[in-house]
Amino acid sequence: MTDQWSLVAKATEFVAEEMGVALRRSALSPNIRERMDHSCAVLDLDGRIVAQAEHIPVHLGSFRVGARNVLDWIQRVSLELGPRDMLVFNDPYVSGTHLNDVTVLAPIGTGRHQQGWVITKAHHVDVGGPVPGSLNPDARTLDEEGLVIPPTVVDASSDWGRTPLGQAMGANFREPDTAHGDLAAQFAANRRGIAGVKALQERFGIQGVADGWRGSIDHGRALTQQGLSRISRRSVTASDALEGNGALWPIRVSLAVSGRGVRADFAGSHDAVPAPLNAVFGVTYSATAFAVRCVLPGAVPTNEGFYGCLDVRAPLGTIVNPRTPAAVSGGNVETAQRVADVMLRAFARLLPRRMPAASAGTMMNLMMGGVRRDGRRWAYYETIGGGSGGRPNSGGVSGVHTNMTNTLNTPIEVAEHEYPLEFLEYRLRTHSGGTGRHRGGDGIVRAFRVTAPTTVSILGDRFRLRPWGLRGGGSGYPARVIVTRSGQPETWSGRARSDLRAGDSVRLETPGGGGYGARASRIRAGARRRTKSPHIKKAVRRRSFQKLLDGVPVDDG
Amino acid sequence: MSDRLRPARTEVLAVDVGGTFTDVLLVRGRSVVRAEKVVTDVRRPEQALQRWEPEQAHRRPPDWVHATTLATNALLGQSNLPLPRVALVTTAGFRDVIEIGRQNRPSLYDLSFVRPVPLIARQRRFEVRERTDAVGRRTLPLRPRELAGLGRALRSCHAESVAVGFLHSYLNDRNERLAGRYLRGKFPFVSLSSEVAPEPREFERFSTVAVNATLLPILSEYAGRLERAHERRGGTALAWMSSAGGLVTSREVRKKPVVALESGPAAGVIAAAALSRRLGLSRTISFDMGGTTAKAGTVVDGRVQSVPELEVGGRTHHGRPARGTGYPVRFPFLDLAEVSAGGGTIITRDRSGGLAIGPTSAGASPGPACYGRGGRRATLTDASLVLGWIGASMLGGRMPLNAAAATRALSVLGVPVAVAESALRLAELEMARAIRLVTVERGLDPARFVLLAFGGAGPQHAALVAEELGIRRVVVPPRPGLFSALGLLYADWRFEARRTFPKELRSACESLRRELRAGRPGWRTEFTADCRYRGQGSELTVPFRVPDEESVHASFRRLHRSTFGFTLDRTVEVVTLHAFAMKNRSKPHLPAAGGTGRASGRRRAVLGGRRWTIRTLDRATLDRRAQVEGPAVIEEFDSTTLIPPAWVARLGPAGELELQGPVR
Repeated sequence: MTDQWSLVAKATEFVAEEMGVALRRSALSPNIRERMDHSCAVLDLDGRIVAQAEHIPVHLGSFRVGARNVLDWIQRVSLELGPRDMLVFNDPYVSGTHLNDVTVLAPIGTGRHQQGWVITKAHHVDVGGPVPGSLNPDARTLDEEGLVIPPTVVDASSDWGRTPLGQAMGANFREPDTAHGDLAAQFAANRRGIAGVKALQERFGIQGVADGWRGSIDHGRALTQQGLSRISRRSVTASDALEGNGALWPIRVSLAVSGRGVRADFAGSHDAVPAPLNAVFGVTYSATAFAVRCVLPGAVPTNEGFYGCLDVRAPLGTIVNPRTPAAVSGGNVETAQRVADVMLRAFARLLPRRMPAASAGTMMNLMMGGVRRDGRRWAYYETIGGGSGGRPNSGGVSGVHTNMTNTLNTPIEVAEHEYPLEFLEYRLRTHSGGTGRHRGGDGIVRAFRVTAPTTVSILGDRFRLRPWGLRGGGSGYPARVIVTRSGQPETWSGRARSDLRAGDSVRLETPGGGGYGARASRIRAGARRRTKSPHIKKAVRRRSFQKLLDGVPVDDG
Repeated sequence: MSDRLRPARTEVLAVDVGGTFTDVLLVRGRSVVRAEKVVTDVRRPEQALQRWEPEQAHRRPPDWVHATTLATNALLGQSNLPLPRVALVTTAGFRDVIEIGRQNRPSLYDLSFVRPVPLIARQRRFEVRERTDAVGRRTLPLRPRELAGLGRALRSCHAESVAVGFLHSYLNDRNERLAGRYLRGKFPFVSLSSEVAPEPREFERFSTVAVNATLLPILSEYAGRLERAHERRGGTALAWMSSAGGLVTSREVRKKPVVALESGPAAGVIAAAALSRRLGLSRTISFDMGGTTAKAGTVVDGRVQSVPELEVGGRTHHGRPARGTGYPVRFPFLDLAEVSAGGGTIITRDRSGGLAIGPTSAGASPGPACYGRGGRRATLTDASLVLGWIGASMLGGRMPLNAAAATRALSVLGVPVAVAESALRLAELEMARAIRLVTVERGLDPARFVLLAFGGAGPQHAALVAEELGIRRVVVPPRPGLFSALGLLYADWRFEARRTFPKELRSACESLRRELRAGRPGWRTEFTADCRYRGQGSELTVPFRVPDEESVHASFRRLHRSTFGFTLDRTVEVVTLHAFAMKNRSKPHLPAAGGTGRASGRRRAVLGGRRWTIRTLDRATLDRRAQVEGPAVIEEFDSTTLIPPAWVARLGPAGELELQGPVR
């Protein structure tokens, strides 16, 4: 049958999706089961991605980079994996993501009968290091972030907690039994994937499956190239920046689109920094891939056909491709957002009437931890959404995870039930979105009091440099964190950590999105529609304030 | 279907009001005596009932059993009913919870994504100072002064219905009840989150109460109209199908309209469960394929499988609900996987030539190209016709099909026969995928199930979908197109109540049992517990009859092992305890198959890449002892059953068609 490859392709996508179901249903930590901070994929023998079920875009391309790295390593050390063996690792310079994302790779079949690989990645709530949650805002090098696991072979059928790696994890991770449960879930997901591909082999034969995979990759490439062919073949540049210690750390890209693919070159970006904001190459790759996916019309399968059209270049030693042992925990969550911003800004020059203004641009990572009454340690991690940027035809969305993340928040009732916290406020940050013909979405206000001694760390950005508007739209409000200790409020920066006492409180305000289009026309249009609307008065009132804050201009290359 | 025959020749009128069509069945004693399909009058759907006066004046009017999609359609604005102005009263600081949702967006790479518009706009969301903490202590009691100001604010925004949702009210509902008592004195429609969905997770609970408050005025009025119409005829019993697949009273619907949200689709699974019990099948997949979608549900040991939450109006992805696309409602819903693969589903090629099916559908109008009603795009029905899987006419010969039009439509996409085969295989793969998900998600092996196929198109694809899943036995009831509506008559009475984090299982069960049985002597009580290991975030549902903590925990561990492949050395906790008060009803026989009016014969067909001359038989005149060997088709009034090569079919004791697949 001529369309047989599409059957194999579809069935393989289903296998990847089913792996995700298995992982999510049996994982222990809220990160995976509630926030869906995980991804699964099926790779062919050469490590090319055939099908991927990703739930958050930051995992989009890091699999590709990580799979290449680890397969190279396997070849270099001539490793032979047995049928029950799996490879566990979290070394960012191999996996292409930060330490929290523990990756597990397993072969489908062994020896001559091997068909390919299955791979899962899940964000573990804590992988050791000085800060609960392992995103250390003060880290200068990798060893200040957590336990680094190089590619390590484990027998996935053994009593995991008693293996040497299991014991090392138990001694280093703050919630060892959660970590063990999550890893067991990853093993189960991989087993499900292997069983799924073997079932395909029975129906289509090993050769049939391999042909089908090739067909599906070719199809992905054709769809991608067709989508790209509608974009003008120019070369443009764009830049934006992260907030360094006192200075700005710019990220620049020069983007060239052709009918064959996209070339993104990050030369000119800031050097690697002594802070956890370095993005390993896998992360830079993911953010680039994300932006390209967003401009492609319609559905494109997430496979090598798509990835093969991307040529991402980042000079070694820069903030977007650091050398080991630079600290990287925030690269995934903050730098990734800025790389996406820069890419989307570059695309806005190629597709001026299709791209939105900047979204919140920070995941506002909040890490907390302490010791329970029974002596067990606890760790809690959450990210907070903001406003999305105004769009050519509509306003931005308020209180939502944008660009590189799409996790679910932890319900207040669940968090209060499990941790010594009492929430005071959880609402939209009204009028924080940039003004314009189409306003940016509003950010979020989330405030809580700790009811026991707690270490709190913040890792965020866009505290000074505001989410930009587009085509005359105003920029969104920047982030703000106010910590009240013994009744004394203090304003925090984007990277801070402190020990709080019972009764102290934290108030986080996330940025609004940038506005799209000049505002005057919006007011006129609005005035025509509803002359009595209170919003207009507010918009006018805000204008003066806006001028005051419209801060650090960032040149567009 | 039950062994308990009731002597009285009571009549029951079952009415399933869908968005486009209303199915009406009249049962006398245990026989279906009339069946009809009429176009739904969206504004006054009860009109359909009024045409069904009792045939003889002295006869007792029939009992009514009712299912409707009115609730869902109203919420989605599909029926042009104006939604009432609803206000929300919530804990100070948390006004925007229902707007923020879980912070996720429904699609990852769509820069113009939108989220569902909040059911209650911000200017009608009000905050009051009150608080209950995570262990259920009222740290800030609700003061009367707060309430006085609230009443004024609510009146000034012209609220017609009020939803109340306070933090942790599932642990201690005192503050909510105080607000409820005050508001109920002033407003006709008040919903409390602790009454509608007493479970943790504020967004989902507030969303449920918001949906409830929105539906309350609409369904209350509708149910009232229905009750009055019924009473005018001297009727006494009026039952509604609930989303959980049981019957509830009209009064329950007027109090808690969320119970009636998905009552239509539930009926098919209930019918499948009833037939499974009758045939002694322990594991059944109900497979309902109609004009636009295919739906699959599971029945294990006669028990339908349910999920604790549904996003109303949400979209699906690979047959499962996509998060953040609709309004979450916490209520036990029958677990249905749904894919857009029905007879009218359109076949396309994407920009680079990949073949795809759906999600668009040609619907009933213009319909597939072969209907000759102006449809030009190829659909799955056209593919079936070109391959010879269905005959040249439908509905017992009343509706001729145009094979030339079907071939023409398919030839746009490639060689018609090749395209038709690939498209149908893709559809079967999608359907098999959806079925795999509803089973594998629970750790069940689909190969150990029997596939029960119905809906107009289900029997045609059942055996091939079964092969895809490794299933060897398929059952097709007579009148497959009617089978779903029969579910209304197979359903039992079933009321639900729940408790969250019960301190002591036995006493919690007892108090739920007392609560449910008040005024219902002689009813059975069954329980389910949503359990998890402490620290986990999702629960598994354990059914039980005897409230014994140890045995419930042991069942949970077994279920966890069979679902996930491992157990943990951790404490088991019961998050939510559900109790169901149940009472059986007498059930009708299966109706007889309708004939095609065509003699048996042969026709040419393409199956599995080969050309065959297959036998065509009329189900109504099929010999009881006959063994029909594939390839063949068995046709009846409203459906066609395809028997692939190496499969064998015969009639079973209840008039059902049994298909047996080859040993692999």
